[in-house]
Amino acid sequence: MLEILRGMIKEEWRVHSSLFGGFMFALFPVILMIMAFIGSLFIPVLKTIIPTGQMWIISQYTFMLFGLSVGSFGLFGREVMNRRFGHASLMAYSSRTLPLSERNIFLNFFVKDVIYYFFLWVFPFALGFAFALPLISVNLFYSLSLLLVSALSFLMGLSIVFFMSTIYAHSLKLLTVILVSLIVALSVSINYIKFSFELFPFFLSPSASQILFSLLVITIPSAFSFIFLKVDYPQKKRLFRNSLDRLSNLLKFNEYSVFVSKDLLDFNRSEGGIGKIIFSFLFPLAMIWLLILILLKFVPVLNMFVVFSIFLGIISSSFYNWFTEFDSFNSYAFLPIKVSTVIKSKINSYIIINLVSLAVLIFVALWTDQSVYFLPALLSFVSISSYALATIVYLAGLNPNVLLYNAKIFLQYLMMLSPLLLVFIFLSVLNPFYLIASPVLILLSYKIVKNGYERWDNKMI
Amino acid sequence: MRIAIEMKKLTKDFGKLRAVNDLSLSIKEGELFGLLGPNGSGKTTTVKLLTGQLKPTKGSATVLGVNASKNPIKVREIVGIIPEQESPPSFLTSEEYLHFVAKIRKMDNINEKCSRWLQFLEFEDQKDVLCKDLSRGTRQKLMFAQAFLHEPKIAFIDEPLINLDPVIQRKVKDYLQSFVKNGGTIFFSTHVLEIAEEICTSIGIIDKGKLIYKGPIKDLKRKRQHLEDFFLKLVRDA
Repeated sequence: MLEILRGMIKEEWRVHSSLFGGFMFALFPVILMIMAFIGSLFIPVLKTIIPTGQMWIISQYTFMLFGLSVGSFGLFGREVMNRRFGHASLMAYSSRTLPLSERNIFLNFFVKDVIYYFFLWVFPFALGFAFALPLISVNLFYSLSLLLVSALSFLMGLSIVFFMSTIYAHSLKLLTVILVSLIVALSVSINYIKFSFELFPFFLSPSASQILFSLLVITIPSAFSFIFLKVDYPQKKRLFRNSLDRLSNLLKFNEYSVFVSKDLLDFNRSEGGIGKIIFSFLFPLAMIWLLILILLKFVPVLNMFVVFSIFLGIISSSFYNWFTEFDSFNSYAFLPIKVSTVIKSKINSYIIINLVSLAVLIFVALWTDQSVYFLPALLSFVSISSYALATIVYLAGLNPNVLLYNAKIFLQYLMMLSPLLLVFIFLSVLNPFYLIASPVLILLSYKIVKNGYERWDNKMI
Repeated sequence: MRIAIEMKKLTKDFGKLRAVNDLSLSIKEGELFGLLGPNGSGKTTTVKLLTGQLKPTKGSATVLGVNASKNPIKVREIVGIIPEQESPPSFLTSEEYLHFVAKIRKMDNINEKCSRWLQFLEFEDQKDVLCKDLSRGTRQKLMFAQAFLHEPKIAFIDEPLINLDPVIQRKVKDYLQSFVKNGGTIFFSTHVLEIAEEICTSIGIIDKGKLIYKGPIKDLKRKRQHLEDFFLKLVRDA
């Protein structure tokens, strides 16, 4: 039992360190701790705009979401692994080739996730917070309860996703019925029941009953998954008529039409599609909108629409990650194309999908009745988006989903981007129309991208 | 016959590991050359060096007179490559993938050429299936088809037969033999000695990055020596 667990932890570490670079990946928890430390120093300031309780709840939900994503990757990440490593063969999938039961493997897999991600994320986060507490005159006891609450939140996320996946393995229809019923029940009851986001308000007033409740939320779904474990997922072979030709004909005005068509098909056919736009783009934008609303209380001179357009530029740069997510240059290396050709094609796909961002910008301009600032907002969005994209292309080439986890590259990314962001926000406060000059940044972005092409063409061979 | 592929003191280091060591070799047009060697002997690295996917640490490689490290794109234009492990993109169907490659190679009559390969390798019924849902054998057929789609003069093929059923294996072997008879050249990397013995016109044996033998297969046949025995003796003595 312990041998398998030890093997799985080693395996997880080696997967990560081979993806993100051994030493740089080892630095990741340290960076996280430093960021938690710095973030915690701002708590006295943040307290003036957002109630303390809400702050803790946001952090708890962040860890719960993290648990959900770790669990999802563990269960559905095989495809991603195969794209990265050729034919990945992880211990989690070895029950058919080794004399080990699926339950044994699953139990070890679960315990491995708990231990590994606790030390990778939860512990450094709580430690950074603990180091900051004496400086902001907060009782050290809170660091212990934050550690416990974050760990519980993470475990809840993990057990929920395992629970869902077990149902999914038995019946996709049953899972759909459960999810739809939950959504309907929540929407109906929301008007009648005072819905509290505090599932486990243990942090502020610890009690035995709350911790017991949290443990039940973790153990019941996990036990269910363990008892009803099934590893064969319902898989449907999907068939598609040739759409590549049709799409590339439609886009033939674009030099990279065949690559762009492939990207759009990848995007549409891979898990996500429209859901990805809603959850990974529109949802974070809504969060940013709320954040700006809160900031407005603190800095009333902010031009909400223009500041939103600046953040829209940053968020939309993540589209590039979507297009590179399932692709690896190895799939093209034997064809007569350079790395830079593939990067250029991804940039073209990026420009096309950014029509969605443009639609959001127009919608917000009309909704907030801020059309007068549309031009500076549009130019800020385009400039920041180009610059953020150029930075990613230069630093990470075709592997942003991998390389941005490398501590050194992530810091470089932050250092290249954040000063500029502050300058843009500052200018928007002085006079939003100063931002009409922002396209100067596009020239700089062009230069950075060109250097990126050269860098990645030379690096690949 | 012209020299199709030439390596001069070709060397590739990965850190402290010398994967290919001072390899000098020339292969004439019309040869079906098999590069044989144990796992990790440097076969795949050699193919990557020859096709400009890797830059040599020392030495040079030319394909039809084109220097592979100086002009890798030109080399990959004129050759076909079946990589060792690479799978086609997950979310294209097999037909779309062939069209994708054909468009990158700027080919004409794409529909006709792609259909011909789908029929020849007997996977026309799988043309609308996403590549990620294809069986290993069908993926291998697809990778084979993409390599020969543009009718190259030279093909570099890395273990192309392993997952194919006997019927398709026979077809592929016959195709490769007729390809070289018509003037094409095949650089075939494998460790399946029976296949090499059956179809190759000449072989090279590589171990720990060094070429330890090169010669026509008929020399072995003339000496009534089995390739397997010959290979094992050479590799054990090396």
